[in-house]
Amino acid sequence: MDRVKYFNDMLVRLEELLYHELSGCAAYKVELVGIDFIQSKRIGGNTAEEVVSNCIKEITAAGLVKIMTYSIGGKGILLNLKMKDCIHLPKEARLKKERINPYLCPIANMILDQLIEKLKYETTYLAKLDINEGKRECKIICAIYETPDKIGVVSDWSKEEEPE
Amino acid sequence: MGDILEVIRTRKSIRRYKPDPIPDEILDKVLEAARWAATGENSQPWRFIVIKNPKTKNKIGQLAKMGSGSRMTAWYCLGEMQRRFEEIQDPVKRAEVLRFMYSGEVSEFAKQAPVVIAVIGTLMEGSVDVPYDLSACIENILLEAHSLGLGACWVHGPVASTRDAAKFKKILKIPTGMGEYKVIAYVALGWPAEARRHPRPKKPLEDLVYWEEFGRKERS
Repeated sequence: MDRVKYFNDMLVRLEELLYHELSGCAAYKVELVGIDFIQSKRIGGNTAEEVVSNCIKEITAAGLVKIMTYSIGGKGILLNLKMKDCIHLPKEARLKKERINPYLCPIANMILDQLIEKLKYETTYLAKLDINEGKRECKIICAIYETPDKIGVVSDWSKEEEPE
Repeated sequence: MGDILEVIRTRKSIRRYKPDPIPDEILDKVLEAARWAATGENSQPWRFIVIKNPKTKNKIGQLAKMGSGSRMTAWYCLGEMQRRFEEIQDPVKRAEVLRFMYSGEVSEFAKQAPVVIAVIGTLMEGSVDVPYDLSACIENILLEAHSLGLGACWVHGPVASTRDAAKFKKILKIPTGMGEYKVIAYVALGWPAEARRHPRPKKPLEDLVYWEEFGRKERS
């Protein structure tokens, strides 16, 4: 039995009905999905870079994602994540076929959670989730706000370099 | 029975308020209207927390500012906010509107409202329609407030995310268990300090109504 497929299929059904019920607001409700895994690990770090790197080590070691890179820019509030061969990619692809833009990334949720839990970030927001099924890649754009005064610190994120 | 269509049609979301207090008898009428909202199986899951304490309202306003600002800052940085407001021709005005949005100031107004009513619903009494019941209840609040000359605004954004909803519950000492109470929104309430002369444009009925089946425009 393919257990990953089994769980992804269940997640798809749940995400479909949550989207159907809440439309775009569904994305705001799911920020805690996935965090139990990372909270069971002892993630350390004194900076965003250290915390993100340590999360990625645990995520890849567990085989949730094969290759994962990141960059932080946008005056410190932009976190770009790039993943290859995530176990949840089939879930996102199936949702996309159902004409629902993927909105729940458990992997990104893990990292955003640890920025809040370990570094006491004020808040975070998963702003964009793009998948490329052919390349088996996901690109995720997150906003990370260390302190309240980081809200409103704007720049053009299209000019930022993507992670390798 | 009186036709209330004019009350419905002239209601607008009001976000600026005079500092004058709302007399208790007026406030009670607004709450009474909420109590009589449509509710599945008459379950009446709603509970109301009426907030006048400035410190509490400041905390709620700040939470709202953070919630909206965090999302809108990202939308601006991705270019999405600019597209939304491209109909504003004057570049200076457009920049100011955009700054007002992405700074989160757009949602801060609970701080100035004389009264904020948190609308929550119990999830422990078996109701199957809690979010819908609460929405009907909020519409009653808005319409009664408007009919009494008050201004009001339904604010959902600050409790939209799971973490923010938990913060909101903690501010008001609402039990935080996911199976206990749902926080759907709050309503800011006060005497209007703004006269919004032009209701925002509404889609014409012919674009919204089908007859007998989806897509059929011919009136039956």
